[in-house]
Amino acid sequence: MSPYVTMILISSLGLGTTITFTSSSWLMAWMGLEINTLAITPLMVKQHHPRATEATTKYFLTQATASGLLLFATLNNAWMTGEWNTMELSNNLSAPMITMALALKMGVAPMHFWLPEVLQGLPLLTGLILSTWQKLAPFTLLYMTSHELNTTTMTILGLTSTIIGGLGGLNQTQLRKVLAYSSIAHLGWMVIIIQYSKTLALLNLLLYITMTSTAFLTLMTLSATKINTLSTKWATTPIATMTAMLALLALGGLPPLTGFMPKWLILQELTKQNLPALATLMALSALLSLFFYLRMCHTMTLTISPNTNNNMITWRKKPGQKALPLAMLSIMTLMALPTTPTMVAIMN
Amino acid sequence: MTPVQLSFNTAFTLGLMGVTFHRAHLLSALLCLEGMMLSLYMGLSLWPMQLESTTYMTTPLLLLAFSACEAGAGLALMVATSRTHGTDHLQNLNLLQC
Repeated sequence: MSPYVTMILISSLGLGTTITFTSSSWLMAWMGLEINTLAITPLMVKQHHPRATEATTKYFLTQATASGLLLFATLNNAWMTGEWNTMELSNNLSAPMITMALALKMGVAPMHFWLPEVLQGLPLLTGLILSTWQKLAPFTLLYMTSHELNTTTMTILGLTSTIIGGLGGLNQTQLRKVLAYSSIAHLGWMVIIIQYSKTLALLNLLLYITMTSTAFLTLMTLSATKINTLSTKWATTPIATMTAMLALLALGGLPPLTGFMPKWLILQELTKQNLPALATLMALSALLSLFFYLRMCHTMTLTISPNTNNNMITWRKKPGQKALPLAMLSIMTLMALPTTPTMVAIMN
Repeated sequence: MTPVQLSFNTAFTLGLMGVTFHRAHLLSALLCLEGMMLSLYMGLSLWPMQLESTTYMTTPLLLLAFSACEAGAGLALMVATSRTHGTDHLQNLNLLQC
């Protein structure tokens, strides 16, 4: 695609998110979300591959429906109360509808069914933009209105997300689907804590973006899209394999790595709010996600397949790959746990 | 709920049901999406008349601009789908199953 077109589309993506961030009325917020959807559609369907067009069609339908539902709920609210400011939302029928619309936008269970298939049909870089940048705008709207949304709804959405994210990823061999289910699980953690502590939800979102970007970028370096392919990468790029393993364990939330920080703080906050059963259920469902991350790490680093596998070992690596974003992001992913108090203070 | 509100709510709900329960063709889903946008246009036009304020009277036009862009993008995607998959039958969109 021509670099001018790519530049226009990427700046439209930035513009859409910025419009939603700086909106005070629901119409501007809706417009920002629409601009985001329209801008990413050509990026997704750049290569006219059947999988890409199918993924783009599914993405477009769900996102357009979600935007329409959001505008409908806010229009109803405006009709009932005369107020169209994003911070003033009264808890009538509109608030659960807005929650459902934003959940459909982000891919929170039970409105998550489009996410694995859409991520599967896209190349890894576009999938990265989809998993990280496109979550910012709807999450901002959730952040701005979370004090008025129904507590029961949010708790059910969050818990269902973590459980479905854990259970759904167990049977996957395609890496993009695994990352989709990991996204669903992480969004569940964010949704459940946003009603008690917005700081921790924002911190979780930022750390999730860092860790997912690292995972996607290392998979792009390894150019692996299946677990099968991962099993031979130890011979070609051992350092990237090791980074991928540590990044996946960080996504799983293991202690010396950064992924432990949001889970720890969220469980602490849930306990402080006198919800130990919910905290236990969240922690147990995180174990399900940890299993499929561990399975990927196992095939990458802990085994050498004794039989001939159906992948050719690439003996020459392409030189000149840009490594700076991956380097910075992987340092953040692996070593930022001691900076926990600073992070919490920054987000506060 | 006034009759006006009921009519625009019903129109939107019918369009939404059409998008979610689409049966055979992608085009019918896109049409119901357009129906949803049209009912939102009606709602946005009737609301400032009820409030008798002129502040929000230009908003339906903004909505129309964005929904026209969206409709164009949807139709382009339908053309792309029919070029890669052969038809726009929704049962054909099964390449990405688990």
